[in-house]
Amino acid sequence: MSLEPFANEPVLELRRAAARAKLTTAMEKLELPLRVPVWIGDERREGEELVSTDPSAPERIVALAASATAEEAGAAVAAARAAFGGWAATPAADRAAALLRAAAWMRERRAALAALAVRECAKPWPEADADVCEAIDFLEFYARGAIELAAGAPLLQVPGERNELHYAPRGVCAVIAPWNFPLAIPMGMTAAALATGNTVVLKPAEQAPGCGLRVVEALRAGGVPAGAIALLPGGGDAGAALASHPDVATIAFTGSGAVGLELLRTAADVAPGARQLTRVVAEMGGKNCVIVDSDADLDEAIPAIIESAFAYAGQKCSAASRVLVHEAIHDAFAERLAGAVAGLQVGPADDFATDVPPVVEREAQERVRRYAQLAAEEGAVVTGTPADAGAGWYCTPVVATGLPADSAVLRDEIFGPLLAIETVRSVDEACDRIDALPVALTGGLFSRNPRTVQRVVARSPVGNLYVNRATTGAMVGRQPFGGNRLSGTGTKAGGHDYLLHFVEPRVVTENTVRHGLVV
Amino acid sequence: MDERLEREIQRVGRALAAAFPSHRGNALKALDNRAMDLAAEDAELRAALFRFVDVVPACRSLDDLAGHLTGYLEQVHTRPPSLRAAMRMGDTKAGRAALGAAGAAGVRHMAHRFIVGADPAAALPALRGLWRDGIAASVDLLGEATVTAGEADRYAARCAEALDALAAVYDALDPRPMLERDTLGPLPRANLSVKVSALTPLLRPEAPERGQRDAAPRLRELLRHAARVGAHLHIDMESLDSREAVLELVLALLAEPEFADGPSAGVVLQAYLRDSPQTLDTILAWARATPRAQPLVVRLVKGAYWDHEVVAARQHGWSVPVFERKADCDRNFEALTTRLLEARPLVRVAIASHNLRSVAHAIARNRLAGGDDADLELQILRGLGDDLGHALASEGLRVRAYCPVGDLVAGMAYLVRRLLENTANESFLSDHAHGVPIEQLLAPPA
Repeated sequence: MSLEPFANEPVLELRRAAARAKLTTAMEKLELPLRVPVWIGDERREGEELVSTDPSAPERIVALAASATAEEAGAAVAAARAAFGGWAATPAADRAAALLRAAAWMRERRAALAALAVRECAKPWPEADADVCEAIDFLEFYARGAIELAAGAPLLQVPGERNELHYAPRGVCAVIAPWNFPLAIPMGMTAAALATGNTVVLKPAEQAPGCGLRVVEALRAGGVPAGAIALLPGGGDAGAALASHPDVATIAFTGSGAVGLELLRTAADVAPGARQLTRVVAEMGGKNCVIVDSDADLDEAIPAIIESAFAYAGQKCSAASRVLVHEAIHDAFAERLAGAVAGLQVGPADDFATDVPPVVEREAQERVRRYAQLAAEEGAVVTGTPADAGAGWYCTPVVATGLPADSAVLRDEIFGPLLAIETVRSVDEACDRIDALPVALTGGLFSRNPRTVQRVVARSPVGNLYVNRATTGAMVGRQPFGGNRLSGTGTKAGGHDYLLHFVEPRVVTENTVRHGLVV
Repeated sequence: MDERLEREIQRVGRALAAAFPSHRGNALKALDNRAMDLAAEDAELRAALFRFVDVVPACRSLDDLAGHLTGYLEQVHTRPPSLRAAMRMGDTKAGRAALGAAGAAGVRHMAHRFIVGADPAAALPALRGLWRDGIAASVDLLGEATVTAGEADRYAARCAEALDALAAVYDALDPRPMLERDTLGPLPRANLSVKVSALTPLLRPEAPERGQRDAAPRLRELLRHAARVGAHLHIDMESLDSREAVLELVLALLAEPEFADGPSAGVVLQAYLRDSPQTLDTILAWARATPRAQPLVVRLVKGAYWDHEVVAARQHGWSVPVFERKADCDRNFEALTTRLLEARPLVRVAIASHNLRSVAHAIARNRLAGGDDADLELQILRGLGDDLGHALASEGLRVRAYCPVGDLVAGMAYLVRRLLENTANESFLSDHAHGVPIEQLLAPPA
């Protein structure tokens, strides 16, 4: 199979009215609620234990889902294990072809899938569309990567022996996915595992079972065998049951640091009956800092920082939550930033005019408000304009200043529209503060001095550093994404080495000397 | 017609070229041109110089300036001897102070070429000088980007003050019949260009109505103000991201009954956009449906955001919205020129180009169709099209110079964009400066 080189799926050109109309038409046609089953092989058990609602209008039910029991988790792993031999033995090119057909299935339904992400997770339109594109990108990118990987890796050869290294799939992979990129991230982890010959049990976030269903439908429509991909909607119990299952070889997780560390602990504890060590690919949170040096172009820095901190209400692991500003420009920066935040429109995700959509659920709203309260007590806050819309889980954007160095606001991942500004005397002082953090996911730098850029690059521990642009919006193949330190296992989604985490290298050495003859 | 037209274009173009002023003996102009030539020859060097021009206003000291300059020059692979010397200066503190001072002075000198004054009052001598030479002006207020409502209010207030100041400036000037009247009637002397992106922080490509709603009160007030003082208000066009918002907003406001009698107002059509013919359809349909005492002025430009549009499209995987071949763009410019001239008196026409062929084409097309020279405005950019402007004026044509006003700090980004155009490989100005034969400059786009 000869494939075109990978290229990112183009997002819709939403500056044109016709492109916007396509999305609103799809929204009118979207039929809700979806019914999301526990789907193992050809068995579907429907249920209503899990109710997913629209964060912009919580009375709207988006999906009624079954919630998987521990027994169902076990059954799903057993089914995946049974299907493993056949899928692993399928040639990489055939597996890739199935993923590419899944990509085509999604491409045909782009607007409808985006509409679902708008409803279920309050992704604003441009971000919902980008999420669908990224899911397609992962399928296309990993399909190609798996074909390349199937060629193995070259080894040193000497006369009389033949050395070969090939990559074998590890077995059953449990994918535990978040809600904030409700199509792209579950699809990315699942596609990587499937492309390399593993079978998958996908547990979507309990806030996003409807999007999880679409991921599995796409893969099955593309020709991934029913046994190779199971859908396990449910809560934390289902995830925990998967993580501790002795037949799960790999856990691919994206989510909070607390859950990620728990998964790592569970995986390290070899379950009775386990025949291999469980590998964990974990992408966790950050406390992402942006440095603004005195020579920064504020006309560009301010809109980029606003986007980094407040787009999707700050609910991206890449979102900026701290800005460290050089004292020489601090006042001008803070004043202009506050003025820009005042103009942000908080509103429902399906309104193209919305800048800040609601957060995902009531608990998130309460958490953000707690931290906003704390910031007001410990420092000073400037708030944006409250939502002028219904009962969604809205949070007014907040900019906090003058916080003490040990403030929890500067330490915890708040995952909401709250940005703290700090003053630094130099870029080096900013680097010191960043270096003191235990997490290292994304970072930003605004400077027009090439030497400053070099210095910060050399000192920055983060997985993704963005210079003179927003810290969000990593693209498959262009910005392989993932954090260091306690932010993750150092893996890079959408990068060339990501697939290596889903395989085990096997080396075969054959003696080719027979009675003194090299055959 | 085509042969006659080509002959007329040649005749007009040669006459204009012959009327270009000579700069022999003008040391300052020669120095500018040498710096421009240097930048035009080497892309890396050009990038380094532009980045320096861009950062000068943000530098805190001479040492800081020198640090940036040498930092940029380090990234240039082939360095003329003068640059190597400059970089050695960066090794000592005294050297850096001297280098920083020289760099800042160089940039300030260049900025004065493009920016006529810090405010309309300071621009008075330059505007008076242009008027005396037979050149009207449209003033453009430079400033930082608008990211807050306060900044939008301040820009609107500056525009209002500028309208008053310009009205006062031009009241005191002697009559210039060629600049003050076309066959449809009187033309305002005072003329201000404004940017919608500076009148609101809320321009969102995917939600044009937001920026429109926010900018409308400020723009409406400026239109009233322009009507009161008898000035022309021209609304500039920027990148494609805001085209829908800007065009819809302006046409909607001008259709409001209170503006039927004035002020004189205008919009911009960007010929580098592939769908600019459809945009012209929209404008003409509006003009047919919206009778105004003073017809809408349409300023035809090539467009100043070419690089931005190409990069944005490539990054997003979109089809590139602008013509990528200069000849295609030039051909479209001529086609739009023809349509605009034929649409008179529904609209007034302003052709803004430094391309000798495009300008000669507009003049020739107008004359062959029996049009009056007074019914065609030709616009140039102060600092770049000065020679062309004087040549046009000396031929008795109606010329207007687009004149940036503002402090050098805020004007830097603007300056860099103009420099980019000037030193772009296919620019007419650089061709002309390098002695490309007149036949080639006036050849039909191909």
